[in-house]
Amino acid sequence: MANKSILGLFSTAEAAADATDVLAEAGLGQDSFDVLTGCPYPEGAFGEREQKHHLYVFPFIGAMMGFTVAILLTAGTQIAWPLVTGGKPILALPAMTIITYEGTLLGAVLFTILGIIFESRLPRPILSPYDTRITEGYIGIEVTCEAEWQLEAAENALRKANADDVIR
Amino acid sequence: MQQRVTLTDAEINRDLLRSINENHLWFWLLIGALGSVVLCGFGAAAYMIYTGIGTTGLNRPVLWGFFITNFVFWIGISHAGVMLSAILRLTQAEWRRPATRAAEVLTVFSLMTAMLMPLIHAGRPWRVFYWVFPYDWARGIFPNIRTPLVWDPAAVFTYLTSSILFVYIALVPDIAVARDHVTGWRKPLYTVLSLGWRGTTRQWRLQLIAGILLSAVILPIFVSVHSIVSWDFGMAIAVEAWHSTVFAPYFVIGAVHSGVSGVVTFMIVLRPFFKWQDYIRPEHLDALAKLLIVVATAWFFFFWIEIVFGLYAREAPEVALREMQMLTPPWSWMFVIFLITGYLFPVTAWMFKKVRRSIKWMLITTISVNIGMWLERFLIIVPGLARKQGFTFSWGTYTPSPVEITIVIASFCMVSMLVLLFSKIFPLIPIGDAKEGQILQDYIQIGKRKVPAVLREE
Amino acid sequence: MHELHHLPMPAVIDLTQKEVAEDIIRRQSEAGPKFKKITSLLAVLFAVGIVSIVMRIADGFGDRNTWGYHAAIFGYMLITAQSAVLVSIGLRMVKAHWRRPLARVSELFAIVGVLNFIIYIPLLWVLPSSEGRLSLWFDFPGNSPHIWDTVTMFTLVITGLALLYFAAIPDIAAMRDSETGTNNGRYKRFAMGWKGTDRQWTLLNAGIGVLGGFYFLMLIFAHTMISVDFSMSLIPGWKDAIFPTFHALSGIQSGIATVIVTLFILRRYGGLSTYIEIDQFWGLSKILIATCLLWFYFWWSSFFTYWYGRTPAEQAVLNYLMVDTYRPLFMLTWVMCFPAPFLILIWNAVRKTDWGPTLAASIILIGQLCNAMRLYVPAFSIEDVSLHSLKVAPPATMPGLLDIATIVGMLAGAVLVYMLATRLIPILSIWEIKEGMLLQRKRKFLKTELRSLGKPE
Repeated sequence: MANKSILGLFSTAEAAADATDVLAEAGLGQDSFDVLTGCPYPEGAFGEREQKHHLYVFPFIGAMMGFTVAILLTAGTQIAWPLVTGGKPILALPAMTIITYEGTLLGAVLFTILGIIFESRLPRPILSPYDTRITEGYIGIEVTCEAEWQLEAAENALRKANADDVIR
Repeated sequence: MQQRVTLTDAEINRDLLRSINENHLWFWLLIGALGSVVLCGFGAAAYMIYTGIGTTGLNRPVLWGFFITNFVFWIGISHAGVMLSAILRLTQAEWRRPATRAAEVLTVFSLMTAMLMPLIHAGRPWRVFYWVFPYDWARGIFPNIRTPLVWDPAAVFTYLTSSILFVYIALVPDIAVARDHVTGWRKPLYTVLSLGWRGTTRQWRLQLIAGILLSAVILPIFVSVHSIVSWDFGMAIAVEAWHSTVFAPYFVIGAVHSGVSGVVTFMIVLRPFFKWQDYIRPEHLDALAKLLIVVATAWFFFFWIEIVFGLYAREAPEVALREMQMLTPPWSWMFVIFLITGYLFPVTAWMFKKVRRSIKWMLITTISVNIGMWLERFLIIVPGLARKQGFTFSWGTYTPSPVEITIVIASFCMVSMLVLLFSKIFPLIPIGDAKEGQILQDYIQIGKRKVPAVLREE
Repeated sequence: MHELHHLPMPAVIDLTQKEVAEDIIRRQSEAGPKFKKITSLLAVLFAVGIVSIVMRIADGFGDRNTWGYHAAIFGYMLITAQSAVLVSIGLRMVKAHWRRPLARVSELFAIVGVLNFIIYIPLLWVLPSSEGRLSLWFDFPGNSPHIWDTVTMFTLVITGLALLYFAAIPDIAAMRDSETGTNNGRYKRFAMGWKGTDRQWTLLNAGIGVLGGFYFLMLIFAHTMISVDFSMSLIPGWKDAIFPTFHALSGIQSGIATVIVTLFILRRYGGLSTYIEIDQFWGLSKILIATCLLWFYFWWSSFFTYWYGRTPAEQAVLNYLMVDTYRPLFMLTWVMCFPAPFLILIWNAVRKTDWGPTLAASIILIGQLCNAMRLYVPAFSIEDVSLHSLKVAPPATMPGLLDIATIVGMLAGAVLVYMLATRLIPILSIWEIKEGMLLQRKRKFLKTELRSLGKPE
C-alpha cells in the first residue's frame, strides 16, 4: 500500500522540537517523521533520525572512470599518431599526468553531482505535502504512515502539539 | 568589532530576492550601457577576423599581447570562487557567507570570458578546433598532448564544468525559495530547476556534505588550472624570464590576490544598488582585507623570488630583458605603477583598520590591485617576447591597436553584464547561508560583557 | 532569533580554572623515574654526538665532503624543530580555539633552535666563499652568506626565545604564586611583576602578535638563505626558483608533524589527555594533508619544468638529485612525504583518532630526514663549486660511523633539550587554556548539544 503523509507547520523551532516528543508519545517514532526547514539546522536538533548515505562512493567511481578515459585518450591517440615533439617520448608520462589528473577530477565532480542529486532523493516531481511558509521560517514536520487511521492519529498528535496548520 | 543584525527569514527572503522581484530603471540602463560596449567588442573581433590579425599590434617577435594577457588575467579572476567558497567553507569561516555565490558566479563568467580570448587571438578561431578535439583528417596529425597549449583546454574546461555544477547544486535550495515567492513565467522555471527541493533533513545534510566534498575536489582543480596556464610560459626555454620553476605557484597566488580583490569590488558596487547593507557589513570587508594582506604578501615573496632567480645565473639575455622591463620607459613606468597599485599601496592601506572597514577605500584598493595585476601579466608576457631573440636586431616592441583595446574593455563589461543578468534570475547572496548564519549566532556572558559567539556541532 | 541565553553553559573542560592551573603546575614540578631514565639515555647519545662533531672538527674543515651529513642534520632541525614554532604562531593568527593546548608545546621548540645554532657554527668554516660562483649574493662581498645567514639564524633563535618567554609570562607568574610549585623564588624574577592588569594583557597580546609575525618572516628568510647557500648554490648549474619555497614548505609540513608526534606522546604517556583531545589531531591533520599536497605540488613544479625544458644543466641536476645518483634516497623521500601520509590522512575515521595523524606525521619526519640528506649531502660532495654546470656527478656519499653518531646524537640532543625545558616552563599554556574555558561553552540547542565559540574581536 502506498505511504500517506501529513504535514504539520510550526512557527518556532522550539515548538517543532517539542512536537516530536508528542509524536513519540503517540507511537510515532523517529522513523516515521521527517523535518522540513527553510535552512540547515544542526544535526539532531529536532530529534530526527540520523541520515545514512553513500555519497562518498560516487566520487571514487567517477574518479576511476575519469582516470581510465583520460589514460586511454592520451595514450591511445599518441600511439595512433606517433610524432616526436621536443625530444620527449611518445608516451610521455609527466605530460599524460596533467590530462589524466584533470580527467580524474572531472569524473569525480560529475559523479559527485549525480550522487548528491540521487542521494537527496531528487528530482521529486510532486512537492506535496509542502507549504511555501517553510521558506518563510516555519518548520514542517512530515509524518508518513501506511494506513489512514495512523494518519488520523498523526493529525491529532500534531494538533495536540499546537501546530499552526496541518496539511494533507 | 562585529556588528550583528537580527533578521527574520521573511526579511532575508525579501532582501535577497529583491534583485529578482524588483525592476529598476538603473539596472536596465546599466545593462544597456555594458551591452553596447560588449557589442563593440564583438564588432572589433569580427572586424579583426574578417580583415586579418594585422589589425592588432602583434608582430614578430611579440606574438602574444593583449589577448593573452587578458586571458591570463581572467583565469586569475576566476580563482576567487574557489578561494572564497571552497577554502573558507572547509575552514568554517563565518564571514564567507555573503561572498561565496558572487565569487563562484564571477568564476564561471570570467572563465567563459577567458576562454574567448585565445579563440579571438587565433585570428581564425575555427582552426582552434583542429588541435583541441580528437579527430584525424587526411593529414594524419593529432593534438599533441605534450604541450601546455593542449593542457589548457583540459584544465579550463574541467574547472568551468565543475564551477557551473558547484554553483547550481548550491543554488538549488535558493531556487526553491524563489519558486515559493514568485509568480508568472518564472515560477515554472524555478520549479523545474529546484528539482522538487523541500528542505528535508536529508537534503540539507547532503548539501553540507556536498559543499565540503565538492570544495575538496575542486581545490586541486583550482590549483592545477592556473599552474597549467603559467606553464604556457614556464615550459618555454626560448623566452627570457619565462623558464622558471616558480611560475606555477606564483601565478596561482597572484590569481587568488586579483580574484579575491575582484569579488570585493563587485560586492561593494552591488551593495547599494540591491540594498545589501545588512548582509555585506564592514566586518566582512575587514576579514577579506586581512586575508588579502596575507595573500598579497605571499604573492610579493614569489614575485621577488622570481626576479632574484631570473637574474641568478646572470645570463646576458635575461639581464637585457630585466633592463628593459624595469629601467626602460615606458616599461619602467608600467613596472612602477604595477608595483604600487598591485601591492605597495593596497597592502599599506589595509594595515589600517579604518581603511579595512571603509567601503570607499576597500573599493579603491581592490580596483588598484586589479590594475596592478593586469599590468603584471602584461609585463611578464610582452617584454620577454620583445627580447626573445639572441640577436639584438631581432628585438621588437609592441603597441596595442584600438581593436585589442576595445576587446579588452569589452571583456570587463561582458563579465559585469553577465553577473548582473545572473542576479536578475538567481539570488547572488546565498539565502540558506544567511538564514543559517542567523541560527548559529550566539552570545556568551562573561562578567558584564556579552561576547558574540558562533554555535558549532560537536 | 532563539532565546537561548538564559540556559546554563558548562565549560568544555570538566575542571575549574583553579584546578586546571594547579594540575598543570603540579605536573611541571614533578619528574617521574621514567622521565629521568629517558633523559639519561638521551644525554649519553647526545654526548656521543658531541664527541663525533669534535672529532670531525679536529680533522679540519678542508674536505667539504665529510661535512655533508652534519649539514643535513642542521637542515633537518631547521625544517622540523625551528619550524614547529610556526604552528602556534599560525593558529594564533587565525584565532583557532583548538590551538590552545598545543601553543606552548609548539613554542618550546624555540629552545631546540639554540642547539641548532651551535650545530650551525662549524659549517661557517666549511662553506666556500660566494666569489667566483653563482649565489644569492651576486657581487656582494664573498663572505656575504656567512655573515647574513648567521645574522638570520641568530635573529631567528632570539625571536623564538623571546616569543616563548613573553607568551609564558602569565604562567611564570602562576608558578610564582602557586602553592604546589617549586622554586617559586626563581619564577618571581622572571615573572617581571606580572599582575594580570588589562594593560598588561593588551601589551602581551600585541607583543606576541608582533613577535609571531617577525618569527614567521625570519623563518621564511632562513629557509630561503640556508637552502640556497648550503644546498642549491653549491651544485653547479642548479637554478631553481621554487626551491626556497619548497624548503620552507617542507618546514611547515615537518613542523606540524613534529607537534603532532609530541602531542601524541604527551597525551598517551604524559597523562595530558584531559587537555589534549582528538580536536587537536583533527585540526592539525587537515592542515597536514594540505601541506602534503603542497609539498608534492612544489616538487612537481620544479621537476616538471626541468623535465620539459631538457637543458643539459637541468638534466644533470635531475640525474644527480633524483633519477640517478641519489635515486633510492629520493624515492624514500617522495613516498614518505606525499603518498604514504596522504593515503593515511584522507580517511575521516583515521583523522578522528590520535594514532592516525601520528603515524602519518612519523612517516613524514623520516621522509624529511631523507629529504635533508638528499639535499645537503650531494651539495657538500661537489669539489669545484665554481663550474657553470655539473658535467660529472660525484658518486653518492654514504654515511660513515661519525656521520651516524652525529645524526643520532644531535636528534637525541634536541629531544633532551626539549624535555629539560619542560621542567622550567609548563608544557601547556595555562592562561590560554583558561581563556579558552571562558570563550568556549557547551550549549543545549533544541534536542542536541552544540559548542559555542566566543569571538571577542
